[in-house]
Amino acid sequence: MKLKLLMVLFIAAALLAGVSNTAVASEKITVVLDWFINPDHAPLIIASEKGFFKQRGLDVSFQVPSNPNDPPKLVAAKKADIAVSYQPQHYLHVDQGLPLVRIATLIATPLNTLVVLADSGIDNLSQLKGKTIGYSIGGFETVILKVMLERQGLSLDDVKLVNVNFSLLPSLYSGNTDAVIGAFRNFELNQMDIDKRPGRAFFVEEYGIPSYDELILVAHRDAIHNVKLRKFVDALEDGVQYLVNHPKRSWELFIRGRKDLNNRLNRLAWRDTLSRFALRPGALDRHRYQRFAEFLKKQGLIKKVPQLDTYAVELPGP
Amino acid sequence: MKFIRPMVILFGLIAVWQTIVMVSGVPPYILPGPVKVVEAAVSHAGLLFDNAVTTVLEIIAGLLIGTIWGALNALFMIEFRALKRWLLPVLVISQAIPVFALAPLLVLWLGYGMSSKIAMAVLIIFFPVTAAFYDGLRSTEPEWLELAQVMNARPIAVIRHIRIPAALPAFASGLRVATAVAPIGAVVGEWVGSSKGLGFYMLYTNARMQIDVMFAALAVLCIVALTLYFIVDRMMTKLVFWQKEENIKEKNNR
Repeated sequence: MKLKLLMVLFIAAALLAGVSNTAVASEKITVVLDWFINPDHAPLIIASEKGFFKQRGLDVSFQVPSNPNDPPKLVAAKKADIAVSYQPQHYLHVDQGLPLVRIATLIATPLNTLVVLADSGIDNLSQLKGKTIGYSIGGFETVILKVMLERQGLSLDDVKLVNVNFSLLPSLYSGNTDAVIGAFRNFELNQMDIDKRPGRAFFVEEYGIPSYDELILVAHRDAIHNVKLRKFVDALEDGVQYLVNHPKRSWELFIRGRKDLNNRLNRLAWRDTLSRFALRPGALDRHRYQRFAEFLKKQGLIKKVPQLDTYAVELPGP
Repeated sequence: MKFIRPMVILFGLIAVWQTIVMVSGVPPYILPGPVKVVEAAVSHAGLLFDNAVTTVLEIIAGLLIGTIWGALNALFMIEFRALKRWLLPVLVISQAIPVFALAPLLVLWLGYGMSSKIAMAVLIIFFPVTAAFYDGLRSTEPEWLELAQVMNARPIAVIRHIRIPAALPAFASGLRVATAVAPIGAVVGEWVGSSKGLGFYMLYTNARMQIDVMFAALAVLCIVALTLYFIVDRMMTKLVFWQKEENIKEKNNR
């Protein structure tokens, strides 16, 4: 009797699984984030929580890397479909021959800032002369510093640079550095307030760095004609739209099932990040991308200015 | 034959590497071939050398301090039994904590200069020295100690003339292990925060996607580590010359 019941259940389950499989013949998409899930990723998470991906027959899963340098390489090696990357880093990757193309923008402004302690007495960049500055990403961040300092009539030789490998605030608090580059305006500044060590930020785009997209989505060059990417970006647009229309409800969705994200830092960061999301994630500002490529070329970070269409696109319609 | 065999192994491995790269067509940002790495090493020789100097200095300072500290620990533990009971657990705990976890703290305490890297290397180096030397000191031939007792030797003399010389072969093998792992300490320290050194340079080139240069730095680090090991090995063989003779005798008897 028991055996019979089990068998019936088993067959029913198998049938159900078969039915649901045919009903939602979903396409899998793997997205490698740049970092732990945080409010920067809100449009992705909201699109997922609201079912915007599922509506389009997409089965999207998110992966968290152990090193923010890895995701683009994973996509280049076809181990994932989409990576969250940074526009400045994207040029370096393309310059080194990685077959990557930007397909959408997540955060449409720079988030990077140079941060000092508010009580450090440094309220003007020229006061950085002789100070120690911490950074994490060799190449681009040192160029940012160079440009920012040159505006003050200083050069990189006037400061001491040290790679703190993303340990920004600890190095600042402990006095091992006087300033750090790479601090995100929506995170580190709030964290500093929480720690009762308020900071002062110098926004990179106000000191000679052409504006850029802090977070972008990149895919493999061979995949950009795949319709599932177009669907993905459309769903992302729905996500960001819902997010700005319903920020409170979106926050509830964001922390649903992710209790560890419900902390003060993320609540403050949520507020500060809302105004920085790309409202048209799939749109491409061609001039802006070209301008930044020329800037990097001039600074010697890339060997040549690449043809725009080879590394950044607006995905074609279905 | 002594030199031919390692050379054959080395070139064999490089040939396998080049073949894999050529056959699989794996792009250079995933795995650069040896030719590309050599090219990168040549074109970046100056920077590689500058950074290697820093790392070598860190490793040597770490080795010196770590060896002295390790040897002293062993001597203290053998001399003062009460101390041993307290010290041994502390030493074991210090090894149970992965250096990778401690590294960020050490850098904050000691700053981003060389001292934090040396401290990291010392932390890795001293333990094999302590453990091996202590074991050696403990297992002195009882007859020799009895003889010393009969001859009314003072404790200091027993340590100096019997226990330490008898423990030197063990000390030497501890030091060999320590030398092999020493570069880890320095490089971990550089990865956490630095402005010079091979570990720093690897971080920098990785961020710039110059994977071939990163491999070149890795190769230089390997050469540094092997050279150091070779030098220490030779020194130890000279220092405990009698062990070598015993080995030869043993071999001849067989």
